[in-house]
Amino acid sequence: MTDLWQNAMDHAVALAKKAGSLVRDAVQNDMKVMLKSSSVDLVTKTDQMVEQLIIDSVKEKFPTHSFIGEESVAAGEPCVLTDNPTWIVDPVDGTTNFVHGYPFVAVSIGFAVNRKLEFGVVYSCIEDKMYTARKGKGAFCNGLLLNVSDQKEISQSIIATEFGSNRDTEVVDKIFSSMRKILCLPIHGIRGVGTAATNMCLVASGCVEAYYEIGIHCWDIAAGAIIVTEAGGVLMDVDGGPLDLMSRRVVAANNKIIAESIVKEIDAFTPLRDDAPPETKD
Amino acid sequence: MTDLWQNAMDHAVALAKKAGSLVRDAVQNDMKVMLKSSSVDLVTKTDQMVEQLIIDSVKEKFPTHSFIGEESVAAGEPCVLTDNPTWIVDPVDGTTNFVHGYPFVAVSIGFAVNRKLEFGVVYSCIEDKMYTARKGKGAFCNGLLLNVSDQKEISQSIIATEFGSNRDTEVVDKIFSSMRKILCLPIHGIRGVGTAATNMCLVASGCVEAYYEIGIHCWDIAAGAIIVTEAGGVLMDVDGTSLYIPDST
Repeated sequence: MTDLWQNAMDHAVALAKKAGSLVRDAVQNDMKVMLKSSSVDLVTKTDQMVEQLIIDSVKEKFPTHSFIGEESVAAGEPCVLTDNPTWIVDPVDGTTNFVHGYPFVAVSIGFAVNRKLEFGVVYSCIEDKMYTARKGKGAFCNGLLLNVSDQKEISQSIIATEFGSNRDTEVVDKIFSSMRKILCLPIHGIRGVGTAATNMCLVASGCVEAYYEIGIHCWDIAAGAIIVTEAGGVLMDVDGGPLDLMSRRVVAANNKIIAESIVKEIDAFTPLRDDAPPETKD
Repeated sequence: MTDLWQNAMDHAVALAKKAGSLVRDAVQNDMKVMLKSSSVDLVTKTDQMVEQLIIDSVKEKFPTHSFIGEESVAAGEPCVLTDNPTWIVDPVDGTTNFVHGYPFVAVSIGFAVNRKLEFGVVYSCIEDKMYTARKGKGAFCNGLLLNVSDQKEISQSIIATEFGSNRDTEVVDKIFSSMRKILCLPIHGIRGVGTAATNMCLVASGCVEAYYEIGIHCWDIAAGAIIVTEAGGVLMDVDGTSLYIPDST
């Protein structure tokens, strides 16, 4: 039985590889850094150029498909997930790392049909690690099968999270209070590589038991989400309900026990949704 | 002019490589985890075995040298730096990472004479990155010269730090308040790979502008310290005074 979306997935992997090699080359060179919503929300010409490359290639090969991309949305394109086959792309996840040469930068390509993820590709290009997952067929890193950690004790866990780029006092208050409560359960430690997509792949790889964050976007987590579930993990919202891709909130964990232990400690807040009407956005 | 300590440094690199490959193999296997000062301060047989390997090898080749090692000190050996040539070793920096398979684990070997660091070796063994520095001769990673970042604006910086393994309320209060103040200067971001030695190498590599921590030990930072300075960086105490490597407390 042929896989309807195998072509698309193969194309995504090839695109991620190509985009990743452009990003890797660009890391070596000086770059002009621009600001988006604040002085700590960075973007470069590489982000924009790589996204354009991906859009053009997808439009050419799959002209009927839809596209949600970080830089396109920043430029005013709508961010709405329909039933139509949709590519959900972050061309450079970890732009701050990219600007500094900190070695975690990923190309993230998720693909959904009828609002359900069919495959995900995350290429951690400086490490040359290609993470992939096809629904029902497992998750892989450079061809090796991935499995989440089998840890059930929160006290023996490492949890990944980030400080994010919002420096508003009330937001920082909640980010710090959640982190502190989780650290002091106690757990073994908190880590974060600086890219949501890669943090999710670390959950899938079993290196960390879970990752949570409020403030990320759908393009940061779409690919990572299916990689985590295909590696045996679970997803949920920070309030314990199902993951809502557009809600700007994510918990990805090895199992429900660990996920619920974290959810209990998170001081949640509700950022503006990715699919909010354009007039409500800045 | 021959370098008096070149032999010792070559031996340190070879030892780090060998120790690193043992650590890398052990990451794949199940391991028994023991606790030191608390439920989050971990140690394994690999830490102890690798340190013994290093001690035995150093004692055989350099019988007059002194040794300060994490596991030896934990077992009751004194931790005092004298003028004597002294190896300052953390056999597995990042034991928590090691236990979890989180890919940052380093063998750290520092060497001091007359209480001054002469060379440092940090082998980030899962990444296969060998960081070295010889006083006056620069710092390298896998043969490539390292340079710290040239960034002068704190607002454009990434700072590395860690939460550490002390969960006492007053300590956690200060760790969080410091982190928050620094994050909100604002800076670009805070990162941490989970090993002090590797965090210091990231400073030397220019990936992050600085690393700070309270709660590490001399064996975590001795090698990294000279790698940072040889890459053009600076060291200081958290109160702004000179870094003193290390003392008897």
